[in-house]
Order: sequence, then structure tokens, then C-alpha cells
Amino acid sequence: MNYILDGLRQAFVLLVNGDPETFSAVATTLIVTFEAMAATLALGAPAGFLLGYASFPGKRAVRLTVETFLSFPTVVIGLVVYAFVSRRGPLGEWGLLFTVPGMAVGLTILGLPIVIALTAQAVENLDRRLRPTLLTLGARPRHVFFATLAEARFGIMLAATAAFGRIVSEIGISMMLGGNIKWDTRTITTAIALETGKGEFATGIALGMVLMAIAFLVNLAATATRRRSAA
Amino acid sequence: MSALYELADVVQRYDDREVLRIPALSIESGIILGLAGPNGGGKSTLLRLLAFLEAPAEGEVRYRGEPTRGREYALRGEATCFPQEPYLLKRTVRANVGFGLSVRGVADIRERVDAALWQVGLDPARFSGRSWRQLSGGEAKRVALAARLALRPRVLLLDEPTANLDKDSAELVRRAVLTARERDGATLVVSGHDQPWLRAICDDMLWLREGRVSAPVLEQGHSWPAAASTQASEGGQP
Amino acid sequence: MFGKQLGRLLAGVFLAMAVCAPALAKDQTLMMATTTSTDDTGLLPVLAGAFKKDTGIELKWVAVGTGKALEHGRNCDVDVLLVHAPGAEKKFVEDGAGLNRTEVMYNDFVIVGPAADPAKAKGKTAGEALAAIAAAKAPFVSRGDDSGTHKMEQSLWKGANLPLPDKETWYVSAGQGMMATLAMAGERGGYALVDRGTYIAYEDQAKGAPALVVLVEGDKPLLNQYSVISVNPGKCKAARFEASESFRKWLASAKGQKVVGDFTVKGKKLFTPNAAK
Repeated sequence: MNYILDGLRQAFVLLVNGDPETFSAVATTLIVTFEAMAATLALGAPAGFLLGYASFPGKRAVRLTVETFLSFPTVVIGLVVYAFVSRRGPLGEWGLLFTVPGMAVGLTILGLPIVIALTAQAVENLDRRLRPTLLTLGARPRHVFFATLAEARFGIMLAATAAFGRIVSEIGISMMLGGNIKWDTRTITTAIALETGKGEFATGIALGMVLMAIAFLVNLAATATRRRSAA
Repeated sequence: MSALYELADVVQRYDDREVLRIPALSIESGIILGLAGPNGGGKSTLLRLLAFLEAPAEGEVRYRGEPTRGREYALRGEATCFPQEPYLLKRTVRANVGFGLSVRGVADIRERVDAALWQVGLDPARFSGRSWRQLSGGEAKRVALAARLALRPRVLLLDEPTANLDKDSAELVRRAVLTARERDGATLVVSGHDQPWLRAICDDMLWLREGRVSAPVLEQGHSWPAAASTQASEGGQP
Repeated sequence: MFGKQLGRLLAGVFLAMAVCAPALAKDQTLMMATTTSTDDTGLLPVLAGAFKKDTGIELKWVAVGTGKALEHGRNCDVDVLLVHAPGAEKKFVEDGAGLNRTEVMYNDFVIVGPAADPAKAKGKTAGEALAAIAAAKAPFVSRGDDSGTHKMEQSLWKGANLPLPDKETWYVSAGQGMMATLAMAGERGGYALVDRGTYIAYEDQAKGAPALVVLVEGDKPLLNQYSVISVNPGKCKAARFEASESFRKWLASAKGQKVVGDFTVKGKKLFTPNAAK
């Protein structure tokens, strides 16, 4: 028990003193997560929306594929992306390996199935009366589209939160594609792995606490937005 | 007086099940037509056809003299349907009532929304900011009606508008319906079970049973004026 | 509505910028692949600091297992290697993946175990100690990750004419870094092979009560030779050969060698500089 309390105490000291390594890892986490979330939503929300909204041949096959990717092991994603962005790979020219954008690419691939599947589900769960209501009020196709998107906004937000949770706490992909380079690509999760591997329990705890605080704040913001738009 | 709607040999089916068969029906412009009959008789289906939300499986629907098949999307702006269980968007009351106006690019949305709310007996100051979650069943129904009244459509199709409403609210709906005809020259088709209420507002009545126009089922002691403005032929047995 | 569209536009711009950014920062950076044990010693930030002061080049490194480090070299992911697996290194150069392999320093390995020493390994040579451990079926935790340490361990078993005990129940293949492997050995009351530097760090963290103590040291096979290898620009067009050669020469020069020799962990010298003069 002393071991844990000791660690907590030292963690507070680190945070209060603004330990630069700790905060560098935090900053990197925030940047990588932001980039990955932006790309995931920009690509995933429209795709998921179309998947739920439109009917086309092969829709069920696509749905099945997306849902399979939901349980794809992260190390495999990391490996595949590494094969592509490594210097010898087809995208080697882009110099993505061991960089923050490189990590963001891998994390985006992680988050996309989540956003696509959950958005599609949110759209499909919309009330069947929505469309005839919009039509009878005189909505043209583009109005129907945007209004449907607006009606699905809570489901989409849920999808975003789920993707965020997965992305911010991810480690395998970040390690493989980022290389855990100090000041550069060391995130909270890779730093925790490194520090606990070296036996630096206190730093690991400090970082873990920051990660939980970030997750908490994001969820708080999401809940507040949900409540505000309902009022 | 010209016919606004003319139906010829109209048949509607859902999944191979025939739900409506009307060999001929014409509806005058500017009348209030009542639709009566048992549940499942085809009233809602007919209303949806008249609202251009569906196209018939067979037959022709003419609106203002022109065939409508293939043009439904363009005509939905003219005929608005108020269904039995209306759906409210996940927005404020004001946004709901103003939705149809905003997609039309109308300028004075605020005034028209307020006017429509008054018409259904809801004070805009108290209600317009509320979210859809904060309304009772009756209030939600009235907001949905206001959303349609605000549009001042040429045709208003109401499916059991007074179901689940108390007497005062039903009275409000009656007055709103009449105003729509008098002020805006709308044509209305109203379905319902409450025969006294229907008779109080309708110029004429149509009975539907098992998807076909049938003989009137009169209550004891009442007669019904001979239908001069609506012509329908009975497709099935009397 | 516009908020969402704007957000999406920003995201697109951001991604585009981010992809271009690395290209802008390229000039003064040198990318190195090294091993986790090297990283754990704490020498690298000291070397990087001194190197930057002298040349202005910023050294960045990824710390992985030796096998992965060499693979990064073959895949042109890095510009220079600092590893300690002479056999694998020579093959790397023979295959044309690297140039100018230069020995720069060495530290040593020790065999550690519980103070109680049930297998009675203390004071023996490396080979004898391993034989004793095998005979006693005492727990032995191996790196098991194809690292330089792991390769050293395997060569010791072979050197003692013992079969590799991979399938024995008392032999544990951790598949992790050095500190984690030691932690595991400590938990199980077992033996392990560890480089001196990591052991010093481990001992320090345990604050005077380490679960593992040094039992075998100084034996010749336990010496751990480090070399710098530049990735071959002929095979890797984007490799920053000039910068990596600059580093290699610096580390082998009097200046670099002094930094290596002066480096201590908890007051104890860790590396012996041995670049050919």
C-alpha cells in the first residue's frame, strides 16, 4: 500500500512542479488525438451517415466489414501502417514514420470503424416518421439530408466520444509508428509504458492521472453540449 | 367550381396487400371533406396519397388538372399532411414550427411562428423556447399542427387531429381548421372517429371501409345532405 | 451546421500541414535506432547534448530490441545505428545495409540472482554458473526478444555446451525490455543476465534492498561491445549519411570518447571507451 501512496505523492509533486517531460508527453497526446479525431470525424461521419441512410447493393457486406474492423487488434493496424509508411514502403517518401502525423494516421484507422459503425446505427435508429415529416413540411433533398444529420447528432456525438476514448488510450500503434521519441512522439501512453518498464512508478501514475483528467473533461464537455442543445 | 383532386382507378398496395381501391373520386377546391370509417379502412393511406407522400400502385391522381405521377416531390409543398402521431424534430418549439418556413426561405418566420402558436392555443412567450422533450403529449401535437398551419398550405390533410386532445384543445383545432379555409382559402380533408365533431366542420363526408368507398353509416336520427360537391362512386358492395 | 463544415475544412488543412511539416524540419536532425538497454542507461541524452553543442545536429533515437533496430536500418527508417550485437552487426554490414562499423565502447553483463543463490552460481564463470542453474532447475528469466542481451545470453548457453533451454519449465522468455525482465526475475526469485548499466539503475531504484544481486561478473564472454554503424546511403537514398558519419566520427574521437568515459550512473562508471585510436 505504501508503494502506491508513495507513487501518488511523487506524482503530485511532478505535476505541480510542471515537470517538462511529463507535460511534453501530455502536449503530444493532445496534438495527436486532435489530429486523429479530426480526420476520423471528417471521413467517418459522412461515410457512416451514408451507410445508414442510403440503400445500395452490397450494403450488408460493407456493414459486416466495418463491424469486423471494430475488433481489429491494434498491433495489426500498427504493423500494416508501418509497412506502408516505412521508408521502404509505398508511402515512405512522405516521411511519416516516427512522426506525430504518422501516429495520427494509424490512430485514424483505429477510430474510423467506430465512428462509421456507430453513426450508421444512429441514423438507422432514427424515427421512421422523420422522413415523411420533413417531406410533408416541404423539405427538398438537401434539407432532408441536413435535417436528418441534425436529428442524428446525439448518436454521432456518442460515436465521437467512443472513438476518442479508444484513440487517446491507445499504445501499440503509437509505439510502433511514433517510436516513443522524447519531446517528439512520446505520448502519455507510451511514456507510461516506458516509465513503468523502467520502474518509474511515480511518473507513470502522474501521467495516468493526467490521462484520466483529459478523458473526464472531454466527456464533461460532450454531456454539457448534449444538454445545451436539448434546452 | 373546379375539382382540385381527381382520382381515377386508384389502387394502393403495401407488400402485395391491397389497402385502397377507389375507382373515382373528385374533391372540390375550398371544401372541408370529412373521412370516416373503421380503423384500417384506408383513411390514412388516402391522406398520404393526397399529400403526395406516396404514389398509387395503379391509377392516376390529378391535381389542378395535371397528372401527378413522378412529380410528387414538387407538389409536397402544396399539400401538407398532419398524421395521427406527429413527429417533432429534436429542436425547440420555435425551430419546429419554423422548419417548413425556413426551407422555403420565408422572411418573416418569427411572426408566422408566433401566429401559428397562438392559433393552436400556445403562448409563444412561454412555449417557443422549450425543447421537444419538455412538452406534454397534447402540447406536442399542437406544436406539430402549428408547424403545418404556419405554412398556410393550399391543402391541409388531417388524420384524426383531435385524438387524445381534451375538449378545449379540440375546439382550438376546429377553429384553426376553419380559419385555414376562410383566411387562406385552403382545402381540407379531415379524418376521424368523432362524428359530431366532423359533422360540425365538414361540408361533406366520405366513408371508407376495407379500402373502398362505402355507404354512409349515419347515426340515428340524423341525415346527411346530398353530396353535391363531392362525387364518389362505390367500388364495392353497399 | 456551418460549425461542422468549418471544422471539417480545418481538419483537412491540418492534416495536409502536418504531413508536410516533417519535410521542413529535416536539416539538422539525425535519426538513430538503438536498443532499450542503451536508452535505459541514460547515456544517450548526455551524448546528444554534447554532440549538438559541437556540431549543431540534433540526435533523435528510437529504442527497440536489437533485432528491430537492425530492421529499422534495413528498412531505411533511420540514419544510424548504435547497438551491441557484433555477430548481427557484421552480417548487417556484409549484406550491404550499413557502412563503416566502428567499435566505440563497451560495458559488461553480469548474472544476477537472489541473494540466497539456490543454484550456487556465485563466483563461477558464466558457463559454469549457467550449468549450475540448469542443473538446479532454478528459474531463469530471459529477455526473449532477439535483443543484444538476448543474443549474448544465447551465446553463453552455447559456450557452456548446454542446449538452449527454451522449452524447460524453469526458463521464462519475457519478451520485454531489461528492467521489466529484472522485475519479473525479482518477483520469481530467479536468475537473469543483465547489462551492468541497467543493473545499477535497478539497484538504485530498489533503494538498498534489491531482490537481485550480482553473482557472476568479469568473465570475458560477458563483455558487451557497442558499435556505431551508418546506414548505407546506396541502399537508402533518404539516409542522412553526412550527419551519421559526423556522429560516428565524433563518438570515436577524443571528445566523444571523453563523454563516454566520464559518464557515471549513481557515481559508478558504466562504459569503457574503446574506439581504435
